[in-house]
Amino acid sequence: MTTPGPTSLWRDQILPFSLLVTLLGLATVACDYLLHRLDLVWVGRYLGIPGTLLIIGSLMYSLRKRKMITAGNVKSWLNLHEIGTWLGSLMVLIHAGIHFNAILPWLATIAMGVNVISGMVGKMLLKRSRAQVDAQRRQYQTSGLSAAEVEQAVYWESVTVDALNKWRKIHIPIFIAFSVLSLGHMVSVFLFWGWR
Amino acid sequence: MSRTLKVVLAINLLVLALLAFAYPHLMVGPGKLTPGHNKLETDCFACHAPLAGASTERCTACHKPADIGKRSTQGKGIQNATARPPFHQQLVKQDCMGCHSDHAGVKRLRTQGQFNHALLQPVARQQCQTCHQAPNNTLHKGITGNCSQCHTQEKWVPASFDHNTHFLLDRDHNVSCATCHTGNDYSRYTCYGCHEHTPEKIRREHLEEGISDFKNCATCHRSANEHDIRMPGRTKSRD
Repeated sequence: MTTPGPTSLWRDQILPFSLLVTLLGLATVACDYLLHRLDLVWVGRYLGIPGTLLIIGSLMYSLRKRKMITAGNVKSWLNLHEIGTWLGSLMVLIHAGIHFNAILPWLATIAMGVNVISGMVGKMLLKRSRAQVDAQRRQYQTSGLSAAEVEQAVYWESVTVDALNKWRKIHIPIFIAFSVLSLGHMVSVFLFWGWR
Repeated sequence: MSRTLKVVLAINLLVLALLAFAYPHLMVGPGKLTPGHNKLETDCFACHAPLAGASTERCTACHKPADIGKRSTQGKGIQNATARPPFHQQLVKQDCMGCHSDHAGVKRLRTQGQFNHALLQPVARQQCQTCHQAPNNTLHKGITGNCSQCHTQEKWVPASFDHNTHFLLDRDHNVSCATCHTGNDYSRYTCYGCHEHTPEKIRREHLEEGISDFKNCATCHRSANEHDIRMPGRTKSRD
């Protein structure tokens, strides 16, 4: 059985994860700075709408995965989910800016941040489990084991699937909290805002 | 998701919803209100109409347009000498949110109280003296009404008065007004305010040319260009 060594774990999983999170933070600060420099701060106010639509659109992956829709392949929807949520989160973070006003939208922003990080952890776990299971299969198949023996030997598969299941148990409640807080923010905005 | 987790999540979200109703100014309000509206902090619908934003009707329920700038909402007369003259009574349309917002968070994103003459009714727009006082100098003392011949309603300064139609202010004449218009009197001027033009030098040069009437320089000289001298009675510029 082969498992990723410390170097590959850092290079293949932790580093891309850290880069994506860091890039999200840096992109937010850079865009916010540019909007202020160009006197376009008002744009940030409206970026919450396309950001939210992107995040909602990226949920198509979850519907496809649960076979609630059949169009497209799961891999493409997953890519769209990852890119859509990252870009959507960037827009919402710019929308949030660094202005501390009401508590509810900030709770929603924090929940979104936790959700994004949780999603990236899930992406890392998925990649890790795929790599491990593939490596184990290849190793046991070339060693002449029967199919049943291979399945038995692929011990890590069950472990990683279990890890993903455990992750989902955390990711889904985070997503629900994020959704409800965001919905509360949106309802309050539409209730009190006059679109000007 | 386990049942316990669902219950914990539901309770937390319910508590947050209750807090939003109990403390709307903290939970959903975009920043503090202006000091005069402190008492309205927890009564969002005092100013906001559901799904339509802050409404002019709700503002004018307290701030009567006829009283704005004259009396406070308590009916007390405004005795502030530095206050602007009342003009809300002369607006084309009562649209409070066109110029004003209240929450600190919203104010950051909008220009506050930027006056525009286009908001005034056409008759009021022509009555400049109602709000503006003419500068205390002879130029303005000699003019009554019709400010628009020199000033636009976009900006009071600079005026649209074009000095170049009388005399071109080139780089040698880029000086303060008082150099030529002494004593704050813009109806008169002198060209002897600098060393270049001394009375003796001017007199000598003009007499050499056979010109005896050289008291009003700008009659012939509209610029410092020696080839652009417009002498009365002659059709062409002098070469």
